[in-house]
Amino acid sequence: ILDEDALLPAPQNISIISTNMKHFLTWSPVTIQGETVRYSVEFQGEYEREYANESWIPICECSLITATVCNITEDISATVPYNLRVRADVGARRSEWGTLKGFFNRITTYLTPPLMKIVADGYHLLVELEDMGPAFQFCILYWKKGQESRMQQKMVKEISSTLHLDTMEAGTDYCVKAQTYVEAINRSSNFSQMQCVRAQGDRS
Amino acid sequence: GELYCPLPNPRNVHFESINMKNVLHWSAPEGTGDGVLYKVKYSVYGVGKWIKKLECSNISRTWCDLSNETSDYEEQYYASVKAFLHGMCSDWMETTRFNPLTETKIDPPMVSVSSTEKSISIILTAPAKWKRSPEGESISLAQVYPGLQYNVSVLNKKTKKRWWFSVSNDTLVVPWLEPGTAYCVSAQIHVTTPFLNSGFSKEYCIATLKDKTA
Amino acid sequence: NVNEIRSGFTAIKANIQARDPIRTVSILSHPHSLHKIKSSDKCCIIHQLFNFYMDRVFKHCTTEDSYINRKISSIANSFLSIKRKLVQCHNQNDCKCGQESMEKFKQILTNYEGLNVTSAAIKSLGELDILLDWMEKSR
Repeated sequence: ILDEDALLPAPQNISIISTNMKHFLTWSPVTIQGETVRYSVEFQGEYEREYANESWIPICECSLITATVCNITEDISATVPYNLRVRADVGARRSEWGTLKGFFNRITTYLTPPLMKIVADGYHLLVELEDMGPAFQFCILYWKKGQESRMQQKMVKEISSTLHLDTMEAGTDYCVKAQTYVEAINRSSNFSQMQCVRAQGDRS
Repeated sequence: GELYCPLPNPRNVHFESINMKNVLHWSAPEGTGDGVLYKVKYSVYGVGKWIKKLECSNISRTWCDLSNETSDYEEQYYASVKAFLHGMCSDWMETTRFNPLTETKIDPPMVSVSSTEKSISIILTAPAKWKRSPEGESISLAQVYPGLQYNVSVLNKKTKKRWWFSVSNDTLVVPWLEPGTAYCVSAQIHVTTPFLNSGFSKEYCIATLKDKTA
Repeated sequence: NVNEIRSGFTAIKANIQARDPIRTVSILSHPHSLHKIKSSDKCCIIHQLFNFYMDRVFKHCTTEDSYINRKISSIANSFLSIKRKLVQCHNQNDCKCGQESMEKFKQILTNYEGLNVTSAAIKSLGELDILLDWMEKSR
């Protein structure tokens, strides 16, 4: 902990937490005895570096905040490398900028398998998927149990609650798994756990 | 000579567009009461002249159908309104730039359903683009928006379960249903680029035929 | 990315177009319409237009409004991301511009140079939906 007159240190341990295209910048707090430290965040995209004199753009939602985390999702809206930096303010005193080590590109976001629930309603195979936002599509694979070689695929863009996949043969088991796909970064998540259900009736 | 124009201006001048039927609307100037008359002009963005809409000269209503003049959806437009009362006038009040392609609202699709013992067939028809006259060529909005799709909801009235279908073409057959059961269908149009959604159509209900063998 | 550009532009369209009082001049749509460009020339013209926006439009569009500036930054970075891909496509397909289409692109530059830089840049930015509508129509 620093006394009042010492130079205000720049924030340290600056890092990104990015999951499912939601990106957060975090850093360690700067602690000054008896003072409230506030932080401000700025970003710089590849465009700013190459075409706009390496200018930096402030994120007003993260200007003079006391939290040590900033949601940068709205501003990281292109698949290019971004620089990010944070500085501290206490009263009239201001630190140097602390800059994220290396660039951040949203292509590295961690994509989780989708939450999925399969329903058999008579002879109809239905799937319920969580809405993960407009950037997400879903690739759904389904097949008759034991016939993995004859998998069928359905790409789903718009999520509504119970989506009709296909009709099923009487008394037959069907299995389903799904992954998310983000067109903007051209990447997919791992597949969800496989789930199987049985169609009504007796096998012919 | 140049009129004296201290009259308050028409307010909220804007286009209201449904299926590219583009109608200019505005509100009367504040505090003017009855007797106000209006003139309307429009221009194609990027082209140098304003054009008077003669059918909307000296009108007392507060709307003017400019569908004919704004039917080319590869262009963008401005329109403007001026008010007149007791020999005085207001300023010309303009719309923002109007892009019919991205700013029109799309009506829900027409839905027709038929049934057999174990299936229902659904035919979806996108609304037609506004056209000058009934005899004119009918252009479906599916031609205007190549990425047009349908979200279809099918509700089993017995089990109260609702299923959703995402359909690119205009027919959907749902087989393997329960005989003698009522199903209600509703559909919505969805365009991905530019992003446009219609409302949902009203529900069309039909029952599968009774099982003759039962 | 085009969808992201579209939603970024929709967020600032009214603000940017309100800064452009000139109704009688268009950068992209008059006297020549993009919609009249031959499909064989589209690859090349899109490439030219993306360079035009990167080199001559975004940098002159800084406003006093930080929200608008942030949206312009995200549009510009999305453009840059697409431009990277266009360069690959341009090299692979060696997409040439026909004479007629190059005349149309020159007309666009003439329209742009007919105004002062800031007005021309703001007008070009305000016409982004004209470019997107044409690109998406031909997708």
